[in-house]
Amino acid sequence: MELTINGVQHHIDVEPDTPLLWVLRDDLKMTGTKYGCGLAQCGACTVLINGNAARSCVTPVGELGSAAITTIEAIEQDEIGQRVVAAWIRHQVPQCGYCQSGQVMAATSLLKQTPHPTDDDIRAVMVNLCRCGTYNAISAAIHDLAGDVGQEGAKK
Amino acid sequence: MTNRLKKIFAVVIPASTVLAGGTAWFVTRLPASSFENTGSQGEPSAQLMARGEYVSRLTDCVACHSVPGGAAYTGGLKMVTPMGAIFATNITPDRETGIGAYTLADFDRALRSGVAKDGHRLYPAMPYPSYAKLSDDDVKALYAYFMKGVPAVHLENRKSTIPWPLNMRWPLAFWNVVFAPSDVYRPDTSKDAQWNRGAYLVEGAGHCGACHTPRGLAFNEKGTDRHSAAFVSGALIDGWFAPSLRNDANTGLGRWSEDDVFRFLKTGRNDHAVVFGSMTEAFNNSTQFFSDDDLRAVAHYLKSLPGNAQRDGTPWQYEPTQAKALQPAGRQGIPGAQTYMAKCSFCHGADGRGQWEWVPPLAGAASSLVPDSSSSINVTLNGSGRVVAAGVPDSYRMPSYREQLSDRDIADVLTFVRSSWGNRGASVTAAEVKTLRKKTRPADSGVVVLKIN
Ligand code: FES
Ligand code: FES
Repeated sequence: MELTINGVQHHIDVEPDTPLLWVLRDDLKMTGTKYGCGLAQCGACTVLINGNAARSCVTPVGELGSAAITTIEAIEQDEIGQRVVAAWIRHQVPQCGYCQSGQVMAATSLLKQTPHPTDDDIRAVMVNLCRCGTYNAISAAIHDLAGDVGQEGAKK
Repeated sequence: MTNRLKKIFAVVIPASTVLAGGTAWFVTRLPASSFENTGSQGEPSAQLMARGEYVSRLTDCVACHSVPGGAAYTGGLKMVTPMGAIFATNITPDRETGIGAYTLADFDRALRSGVAKDGHRLYPAMPYPSYAKLSDDDVKALYAYFMKGVPAVHLENRKSTIPWPLNMRWPLAFWNVVFAPSDVYRPDTSKDAQWNRGAYLVEGAGHCGACHTPRGLAFNEKGTDRHSAAFVSGALIDGWFAPSLRNDANTGLGRWSEDDVFRFLKTGRNDHAVVFGSMTEAFNNSTQFFSDDDLRAVAHYLKSLPGNAQRDGTPWQYEPTQAKALQPAGRQGIPGAQTYMAKCSFCHGADGRGQWEWVPPLAGAASSLVPDSSSSINVTLNGSGRVVAAGVPDSYRMPSYREQLSDRDIADVLTFVRSSWGNRGASVTAAEVKTLRKKTRPADSGVVVLKIN
């Protein structure tokens, strides 16, 4: 079957129920997308499908058709994605980094839909887990991007 | 003693002796078997063995007579009744602890009449009221398979914890007279062969009614065949609500085609649902091994059972009502909506429609529409068991949320699910979740799939 990943067509030969995450990591060797739980619980595997955050470990490839899939490898080709990565560096968000591909994808998706998210919006949408507890830094970076410092950022 | 009294005693004493004797005879008597005096069966033909093996798939003996980690057919499954626990028995051909000493007639009596070799009555947890419909040929084949095809394992049966006097078995003889059919399946000549085969499988061998038919006060299935509107009309069993298998549009198979039913039983999934709860085991060990013809017959028969529009209500239709509520700004004010988005939506979709046949929809699902919320709660607390289709384990499985979500969280998210997208199942209370949390355990990811050959 054909998949469109980061603007490139890939031909892959897998069962239709194979999770997208397996295809990315094992077949295409795009290991930027991480495997945390495999059960839609952590968000480490988040990618964008037509601009929306999706957990690739629970996304069967069989039905993706011509959907545009974006992974962390190409996120800086996206205008918002590029700004997110820059803010992540500015705020030194990552600790161990394992969850951060997913966090960046989730933040990009949020800002695409809600350019000026409130604290509540951020709390509602940024539900990926981080073992290192970078939640405050994530929140500050997103506020920064929203062009609105917000309450949590202001306290700093 | 006056003459009159003497006369009365002369009548009453013999009469009650006869009555007591008659009762004693009745409750301990061995029911008739069509295989009386047939003697030893000798070596079965390969064909008969193969037939028996297939019948054992239809009857799904392994579902109860095995436990994860135990040898096949050695029993041990615990079944909790209001009176105490009972345990399925060893039915391997071991002579001391299993059924090795059973003649064909003994085997037949246990299977179709619920009477063990020593004359004690089996609890109707053993679905002999359904197996009564099995044909002589199938019983014979099954016997051949159990005697020669199943390895004998020496393992003592576990004692039931039901206390005296409730543990006396003889009253079951009367129960049987009232509630258990005692005749083999008789084809309905007004219907075609496929339909009759389906009826034989559903009412008899497959004993679908054991879970899907509601039970009366005496634990009797309220209907045992197509003549009863209660037959497979949905029932609560062991913390799961086994939905209606009749043509109820909301709570049954009304919106499923025959092909949908076929696919569900063959592959464990279709666009409407994926097997979960106790059905996972029925699928893993039984339905997927039915021949295609048999599954088509089951589907054909089930689709002929009328629903009950009065009980079921107007047919569900998808309503995109929640799209707005689930936007980041909207979901914060609605109990359950945020939990839905954070925990459920990545698989089941923000639109509740699931992902084709891989992840079941919650919108329009029977579990979201039945008034009884047990299945919704149970699967959320405990997740789903492993579905193994044609030897391949499933790629996607419902995780257990027992440790992550409180009773309140689960009540809220399920109330949200059960009232969104056109769903209208009853709302769920924290107290209901609490009760089921205590009574149930997380789904075991170990799985018994009996390998034959
Ligand atoms: S790996 Fe996909 S959510 Fe954890
Ligand atoms: S940075 Fe370590 S898990 Fe998030």
